[in-house]
Formats: sequence, C-alpha cells, structure tokens
Amino acid sequence: MDDALKFLSKEPSAVPMAGGTEVMVLIRDGVIKPKKLLDLWPLKKKLSYVKLENGLVKIGALTTASELSRSFLVKDHRYLGFKDLVKNFSTHFIRNLATVGGNIGCAHPMSDIATLLLALDAKVKLVSTEGVRVIPLDNAFVGLRKFARKPNELITEVFFNDKPKNSSTAFIKFDRRWGHSMGYIIVATYMELDGNVIKDVKLAYDSVGEPYPGRAKKTEEFLKGKEFSGGVLDKAFNEVLPREMRRITDYRASAEYRLELSKILSKKALYIIKERIERGGTRG
Amino acid sequence: MVSDEYKPVTIRVNVNGKDYVIDVKPYERLIDVLRYKLGLTSVKEGCGRGECGACVVLMDGKPIASCLTLAVRANGKKIITLEGIAPPGKIHAIQKALLDTHTIQCGFCVPGIILSLKWLLDSNPNPTDEEIKDVLDGHLCRCGSYLRFIKAAKLAAQYIREGKIYFDVEG
Amino acid sequence: MSEVPEYVKIVEEVFEKYKTFIYVGKHIRRWDAVDKVTGRTKFVADLIPMYRNLVYVYTVRTKYAHALIKSIDVNEALKHPGVLRVVTAKDIPGINDAGYVIPDQPLIADRKVRYVGDAVALIIAEDYLTAREAAEKIHVEYEPLPVITDPLEVIDLKTLRERKHVLIHDEKGTDLVAHYKIRKGDVEKAFKEADVVVEGEYRTQFQEHAYMEPEAAIAIPEPDGSVTVITTTQCPFEVRRTVAKVLGLSQNMVRVIAPLMGGGFGGKEDVANEIGARAALAARLTGRPAVVIHTREESIIGHSKRHPMVAWYRHGARKDGTIVAVEANIVLDTGAYASLGPFVAWRATVHSVGPYKVPNARVDTIAVYTNNVYAGAFRGFGNPQVHFAVESQMDKLAEELGMDPAELRLKNLLRAGDRTVHGQLLTPEHGVGLEECLLKAMEVAKWREKRALYVKQVGKLRKGIGVALMWHGNSIGVEGADYSSVSIIINRDGSITFRTGLTDFGQGAIQGLINIAAEILGVPPSYFHVELADTSSTPDAGPTVASRSTVMGGNATVNAAYKLRKRLNEVAAKMLGCSPDDVVIKAPDVYCKDNPEKKIKWGELIEQCFWLGVPLQEFGFFRAPFAEWEEETGQGAPYITYTFGAIIAEVTVDTETGGVKVDRIITAYDIGKVINKVGAELHAEGGAVQGLGYALMEELVHDPDGRVRNPNLSTYYIPTVKDTPEVISIWVESGYKRGPFGAKGLGEPSINGIAAAIANAVAHAIGRRIHSLPITPEKVFFALRK
Repeated sequence: MDDALKFLSKEPSAVPMAGGTEVMVLIRDGVIKPKKLLDLWPLKKKLSYVKLENGLVKIGALTTASELSRSFLVKDHRYLGFKDLVKNFSTHFIRNLATVGGNIGCAHPMSDIATLLLALDAKVKLVSTEGVRVIPLDNAFVGLRKFARKPNELITEVFFNDKPKNSSTAFIKFDRRWGHSMGYIIVATYMELDGNVIKDVKLAYDSVGEPYPGRAKKTEEFLKGKEFSGGVLDKAFNEVLPREMRRITDYRASAEYRLELSKILSKKALYIIKERIERGGTRG
Repeated sequence: MVSDEYKPVTIRVNVNGKDYVIDVKPYERLIDVLRYKLGLTSVKEGCGRGECGACVVLMDGKPIASCLTLAVRANGKKIITLEGIAPPGKIHAIQKALLDTHTIQCGFCVPGIILSLKWLLDSNPNPTDEEIKDVLDGHLCRCGSYLRFIKAAKLAAQYIREGKIYFDVEG
Repeated sequence: MSEVPEYVKIVEEVFEKYKTFIYVGKHIRRWDAVDKVTGRTKFVADLIPMYRNLVYVYTVRTKYAHALIKSIDVNEALKHPGVLRVVTAKDIPGINDAGYVIPDQPLIADRKVRYVGDAVALIIAEDYLTAREAAEKIHVEYEPLPVITDPLEVIDLKTLRERKHVLIHDEKGTDLVAHYKIRKGDVEKAFKEADVVVEGEYRTQFQEHAYMEPEAAIAIPEPDGSVTVITTTQCPFEVRRTVAKVLGLSQNMVRVIAPLMGGGFGGKEDVANEIGARAALAARLTGRPAVVIHTREESIIGHSKRHPMVAWYRHGARKDGTIVAVEANIVLDTGAYASLGPFVAWRATVHSVGPYKVPNARVDTIAVYTNNVYAGAFRGFGNPQVHFAVESQMDKLAEELGMDPAELRLKNLLRAGDRTVHGQLLTPEHGVGLEECLLKAMEVAKWREKRALYVKQVGKLRKGIGVALMWHGNSIGVEGADYSSVSIIINRDGSITFRTGLTDFGQGAIQGLINIAAEILGVPPSYFHVELADTSSTPDAGPTVASRSTVMGGNATVNAAYKLRKRLNEVAAKMLGCSPDDVVIKAPDVYCKDNPEKKIKWGELIEQCFWLGVPLQEFGFFRAPFAEWEEETGQGAPYITYTFGAIIAEVTVDTETGGVKVDRIITAYDIGKVINKVGAELHAEGGAVQGLGYALMEELVHDPDGRVRNPNLSTYYIPTVKDTPEVISIWVESGYKRGPFGAKGLGEPSINGIAAAIANAVAHAIGRRIHSLPITPEKVFFALRK
C-alpha cells in the first residue's frame, strides 16, 4: 500500500486500475491515454472485505461484485438491495473483476454499486501519503466521470452505519432486454419504518439531473414522518419527484419515459422494502 | 512507435498445464498473448470490451474476460483455454453434451461458453435452469442456440454426476 | 414448351423415386461440429499466427457523413515510424469500385464521402497499433454538405416524388436507386366497392447483423504475381471479381478462400469485396501478406445493414373477409450506397401483399440513398419489413370485420390452384402447404382457446397471442443467373471429397447437401470430407444467399450423386450378377436386392472402378428456370417456388412499465421436405431469436450528423439467453417437385414472420397497435396511456 501511495505521489497522472473492466475499455476507446497504470490487484487481500465493525458496515475497495454476492449482506434482510444488485450486475466473468472501488470511482451514471451505496448514505475513505480523508459519497461525484479523488489518493474503503432492524433496501434496474442489461434507469432505495410511519428514507437514482448518481432529497423530506400508504407514495413520486428530477433523452429512451419509470419503480421499490421489513428474516 | 517506448516485461504463466516464460509489453492484452504468442486461437475476440463473452478463459479457475485483462496480470497464474479442457484425444462431458444436443451452429461463441459452464459445473453438479441462465447470460450467441446450451449444460451435469467426465472423440 | 433440361429431369426422377430415407430428414451431426466444439476450427483471424512478415491495414474513415474532399495530405502519416505505405484513391491500379450490384461504391473515397464508414485512406504498417496511431496524422480538407438521415427528406411517401435536396449521388443526378411496381386489376374500382377499408403507416429500423465474428481478410501475394485472399465472405466469386477489378488483374490471377465463418446472415455478402480488395492492394504494394481486421465498432460502422422501411398500406375487403384490393407505397433507405438494395427492393415488392389471393393490387417500392450506413443483405431481404406491415394490416382488417385473425387468413391464403398477385399459378408441384402450416400452428398453440381467454383478463400483466403468415421465394429470381454446382470425388480408398463454392457461416446448409449425397450414394455422411469454398478448386455454386443452398446446391448435389451412383451400380451389378437397378449400397456393404447374403465391400467396389477406369468424380450442375417479371406490372413468375410459414407468438406485457416478455413462439414452416433435421430445427429456433430482437429491442441509431450512436454490443441490444422463449417447430412437407427430394429453403423464411407475429401478439395484449419496430417498452407504455 505504501508503495502504491508513494508511486501516486510521484506520478499523479498515473491511472489506478482495479479490475480493469472500466479502465481497459476507456483505453481501448481512446477516451484516456495514460502513460502509466497502477495495478491495484496486488493489494487485493488487504482491501477485499465485507465486515461489521463498531456499528459500521465496511466494504474494502477491492471487493469484487462476486465477493459481494457471497457476503453476509445478501442474506441480511436489511441489505437485500445488494442481492437485487448482484443478480443483475453485468455478467459473471465481469463480476469476478469489477470492484466496489472501481464502480464508485468511475462516477458513471450507470454505476450500480455506487447508487445503492448512496441510498445507504455511505462514506468513502481516501488514502494518500498525506493521510486519510473521509467524504460522503453524496459529495464525491463532481462531474461526468469525475470523482473527488485527488490524483495522489486511492479509494480504500466505503462504509455506512449498520442499519436498524426495521429497515431494508431495494434495487431495481430496468432495460428493454431481460438479460445482461446496461439499464435505462437505476433505482436504489433505503427505508426505515416505525410501525407504519416512514422514519427514514433514502432515494438514489442513476441520475437526478446531473450525469452521475444522485439522491432525490426533496422527495425524501416529503416522505419522512408520513404514513406508508398508496396515497402518500403517489403524491411523493407523482408530484414531488418531478420537481427535483431532470431526465435526459437519448437513443435508448426519452426523458419523459425515464421520469415515468422513476416514479413507478420507486414506488415498487418501497413496497418491496416494506415486505422485506415485515418478513424480517433471511428470505428475500 | 508506441511499442518502442515500453520495455518488455517477463511473465511466468501456466497455460493448459504447461509453464511458459514470455516477454510481453506492459500494455499487451492477455487475449493477444494467448492467441498470437501461444497460438491458442480458440480464445475469440468478438467485441474487445467484455460485452460478448467470446474471450472468456479460466484464470485460477475463475472465468474472466481476457480482452480486458492485461497479460502482466496473468503472471504466476494458471490459465485454462478450450484447448486444455480435456486430455489429448478426449473431449469433456460439456463438449459431448453440446454434440449430443446438436447445439453448434457457427461455433464462435462456443469456447467461452464451454469454459463458463465448466466453472459452473465444477462447483455446482446439479444446477437449476436459473443458475445456468445466469452463467450463460454474459455470452452472446447470434445464431440463437441459447435454449440448446441450457439443455446441453443439464446433460453435461448428468454425465458428470454419472462419473463420465471424458469421452473419446468420434469422427 | 421448351425442353426440360436433363438436370431438372434427374431431380424430378429422384423426387418420385425415394420414399424412405436413411439420412435425409434425420438428426445427423454436422460435419464441422467436432472441430468447433474442440476449438480446432480456424476462422480468418485465427489464421494470422500462421503467417510471418505480415503488414496490417487500417482504414482511415471520414470525419463527416457527407462532404466533398478538397485535399488529402498523407505526408505526416508516411513519416510515422512503422508505416510502410499510405494508400489513397489515386493509388488504385484498377477500378476504384466495390459495389455489389451497381458500381456506385468507391473502395477508397476520391471526390466525396457519403457516410461515416467511407474510407479516405489506408495505412499499411508493421502492426495494428502503429497503423491506428498514424491515422491521426492524415489530414483531409473537407467541405461539409448537409447530412440526410431521414429517407423522407429524399422522397415523399404519398406522391413518391423525389424531394429537392443536396444530392448524395450527384453523379447520378438522382438519389432514387430502384423502383419496382405491381399493377394488377383496378384498385380504384375495387376500393370503391369494398365494404371495409383499413390503412396504416409502418416503420422499421436499421438492424445490425451483430454476428459474433467481426470481418477480417488476409491477402497473400503469390510468387507468380497472383494474389490469394482469405476472407469472411458468403460470396467468394464476387470477392474475386472485385479484387481483380480493383487490382487490374484477370480473375484467374485472384484466388479467394472462404473459411468457416462466425455468423453471416447476409452481412458478409459484400463487405468482403471491400476488405478483400484493401488487403489485396496492400499485399501487392508491399509484397507481404496483409491483414485487414475489424474491431466491433468498425464492423458495425463498416458493413451493410437491414434496410429501414417506411410504408403506407391500404387494404380493402368484403364483409365476409375476402380481400379485394391492396395498395402500398414502400420506401427503403439504402443508405450511402446501393449494395444489394435494388434486389432487396425487388424481393420486398414481390412479397409485399403477403401470401394471399389479391385480385387487385398497386404497389410501388422505391429504394433511396441517404447518408446513413449503407443497407444491403440481411436474412429476409426486405421480407421481415413488409411482413410486419402487411400482417399488421391483416390484423387491423380482422378487427374491423369482427373476425378472428386466423379465420381471416384462412379465408384468403394461397392454396394449390390459386394464382399469386403476380399471376403465377401455384400447383401441387410447387408444394403449397400454407394452410396446413396455419392449422397445425393453431392447434399446437391452442389458438382459439387463448384468444377467447385473454379477452377476459385483468391485472397489471396482460397476455396476448398473435399470428402471422409468411412466404419467401426461393433463390434469386430475376436477380441474376441462378445456378449452382458441386463436385463429388470418390477417392481410391473409398473416402469422399465434397467440393462446393457454397460457404458456411453457421447455417449448416452444406450438411443438407452431404445428407443428400449420402442418401443417393448409400454411404454414411461420415465418409464425406467437405472442403472450404475456394475459387481455385471448388466450383462456382453461386452466392450463399437467398435461402438457396439446400435447393440449388442440393439439386446440383442430386445430379452429381445420381450420375456417380449410376456408374457404381453398373460396376457392382457385374461384380454381383444382377441388374444395376437392383444394386443396394448400404456402405460398407454392397449387395443385390434379392440376394443380400452375397456382399462385397464399398472399398472393393471403388477399387474395381479404379481398375476399370470408371471415373469416380462427378460435377453436378443445376440451373433454375428463368424467372419472369414484367417491369411495369409485376406480373409473371418471379420465383421457382415459395417457402410458406405460419408463426404464432405468445407474449406477456407488463402494463406498468411497458416491458414485453415473449413466452412462446410456435413456428410451422412448409419447407417441402426436411433434408437436414438438425439444421431445420436450429433455424426455427435461431430465426425466432433474431426476429425477436428485431421486434422488440434492436435498433441502430444515427445522429443527425450521420454518426452511429450505438456501435457496440452493450449499446446495440441483441437478445440474450434470458430473453429467449420456448420455440416449438412444426414441419410441413408439401413436396416441391423440382427441389432435392422435394426440399425448399429455410435460411431466411425462419425470420420473416417473427416480428409480425410478436407485434400482433402485443397488440392483442394491450388492445392498441404500435406501428413501428422495435416495439420498445416506452412505445408500449405510452400507447397504453394515450
């Protein structure tokens, strides 16, 4: 690790590469033309973990999507969003390479893991020769494919508060084909219920208006403290969400459709969470 | 020339049971080393972006996209390609099952799929349709043999459970 | 009455004679299956390690989709280390053209560029990366011109008149490429008298072949001045013609070899003209073997697509459902170059009204140029497009009439004794099994029950079931001389060499030919060794297109095998002491029908033929009867016969999101006689998958400036295993008298009606019709909320 950090201090233009599933594609497409690559794979043992420590769920930056799918997260009713995510995460031979750190470091709107972590209000640990820095993931995306990592820093960990028992997560990705999807939109939600009252809710999407994952905070505010009901959800997503979400039209889908899907799938996700909280066991 | 700026790196890699010491450029991809330096042309390039599955090889037993892997990453690792899946003169149960179910059309997607299925069946001797589909999901087959691949995977699993792992090559 | 040629008589005799089969129609393992499953098969790019001293050719493509070239400066690129030559249009020794039908397609752009894939220069370098780097040092001065990506900017759909615009092919004075017509009866009068009239405008998209193997070519300069080109081509003799033309060589100085390919579907019909010529040029100029290999993006941008269609249709019918008139304006976008566009437009016209009795018809099909990627051959060749339109119309008509869609089709479909819209009389000799197809499909699908059941459904998920009929004329009709040939050589040890100029890109039709030869000669298919298509040794079988391999190649095979068998019978008869007609060959055994105890071995028989000087090789030839087509009326006999089919699709639509899942597809194809059972089933299944992609998800999109938005496999959606439904294939064998054992083709028919059936099923599920493909969730979503 020290070698890696020393290297980055000396060569800030070097591109750190974890699984390579993104970096290799960017190089091939000519989007980036790095002279030097820093291979992070030797740090794998040190940075691959999913553990509960001091009330925090900590995930090492080099944890692959495959490893996520084998961690305790996919069995814990609170974190079943991870189970949804891994089921649809690219393909099995990519899952063996793609890492959590890579997924959030790419700052691409279709970053599945980043979006779910956003819904979990995660923080990112950045390390350099100068020390350690922790920033909320919510502040970490600063532009299209721009992550708030200084050139001499490495992402080493993401962590979030271990969530209460009466909460859960859900993750939905929608596309026009049933397999191997890139996605039109991603919806990642977290909700905590106190009886039938929404105590806390986080709504993360592939994009709320910026070209990177974001949260619909106004809608979250609206929902907090209200009764969980069809009427409330309808108001939240039919009326409040459109006020803060701006979608784009591209060759895949129109902005209007993406907004409609966001409304529908958000509601669906919250219903899934409610069911998961009620069942409260290991079955997803 | 790009290549002049970078000095070659020596890697040691075991491919299909044989040890190799190869000089590679730091930017060389594993797929190119396997295909053009070692002549293992069963590893196919369909897209160069890890989107089609044709380039899948097993690295330390796990399927990876060789078009997205730098050759230097293979240093010290064991690689299996289709050429190394069965002893000479024999074919693996998966290959036999593909023949028996008449799955093969153009054959381009096949090597990657066989290796992915080997990974699946090595750890899961009785996979469900869902589990098979999850593994096949990454492999694109334009000729449309998908359903037969599922049949073949189940048939291969059956052969393996019966203890028949290798078969003679007929014809 | 003209004399029936001997090669036709032989086919007819074989059709009558054979009633039971050992190999034909059975599940026989493909000749190349073991090689493919062991990874031994070498595709073109796999041959690269076999050559030393290779040079790599990189195609520098234009920055603009439509522009004049004012100047091109290659000096900086030439100085780039590792670059050997830079080739521009002026360096072409022969004729600068790679067009398949019309000479409208420069190999390297000289005066102007017309689409983003147009080549402005070729860089020949020591390795691929160097060539790619040097490409950035080519400086071209362009004068950009307006880019047209919408065919309706070139032509008006209603009047079919060309619109004023900056011409793409200014050298022709018009951007209308081809115009085909049907004029039959009096449509005006018929529409006035019709009880019900329905009309509609239908659109279909660019479809990309997305075969898993990108295109590649290796050219080797031979010591005698000739050049050998190994490339991904379905038409090796066409590549030879183009390479010879571009290099200024005679055709006997060009050899083209077509290895097994990783998919083709029509996409490798003419692109090999381009890359083969580029590689050959580089080989000639450098004296070293040259490689052209496409990345996926280059493949998507650099080869032909399926023609998008915009069509307006109008149908008129009587109260009882009898169709009285059909009229249609069909516009096909052929992109920057014609490629096979004129032929696609013709086939689309021929099939435009569907496999029905239509007494009055007016159809006009026009193909136009735009600055999109050029469109050419793609499985179906105009038929998937028009079938989507016409089968949607049929369902609309059924709705208007209050009739069941299958009943309406039963009322109007073509039967033996009917005349097609071109006036072609269909007889039992053609093999007309369409009705049987529909009835069988309906039975297996439980059509009537489900149509009734689904009307009553409630809930967010809605099921639908839809039907489509299709027809597909076999082989190339009036597109050109329609012949095929094979060589069968029995070697001295009894093993057999099979040579044909037909190629394989996965479809496996050659296995059918082997099955035919095996059946006639009486030997197992394993005795045969198939050689790769090679213009120097395998006979010109015509191109591997138009679903013609089984029929045309098969008939040629019938001829060769028949003649060989006759000779073998003569010799065996003398060895066994019976009449030649009584000789039974069930290799390795040979015996007389009435005396099976007295056997000789196949090997002995062959050896005896050798000693007697009886020739053991035979060249089989077959030519289809000339098609007839009257230019102004579209009357005549456009195809030798038609493959018919009925497809029923079942879908479930999620009304919340618009997502469509296809649950099941039932296909019933009348292919005359099943020769290659494995191949037939794989086609029904594979065609269903590719058709499903066309129906629901595939679409190559161009920006307004002509750039392709989705040139790779994560942005261009093709079906995955999770999208694939159950496919049930039913076979109807109506027996085409002039096909090998009665067979007709299936290559393209297996995709023609799929999208149409799925579209009808979706319409049934949601009670609304979507008039354009692909039927994306978004379109369904908004249709439901309109």
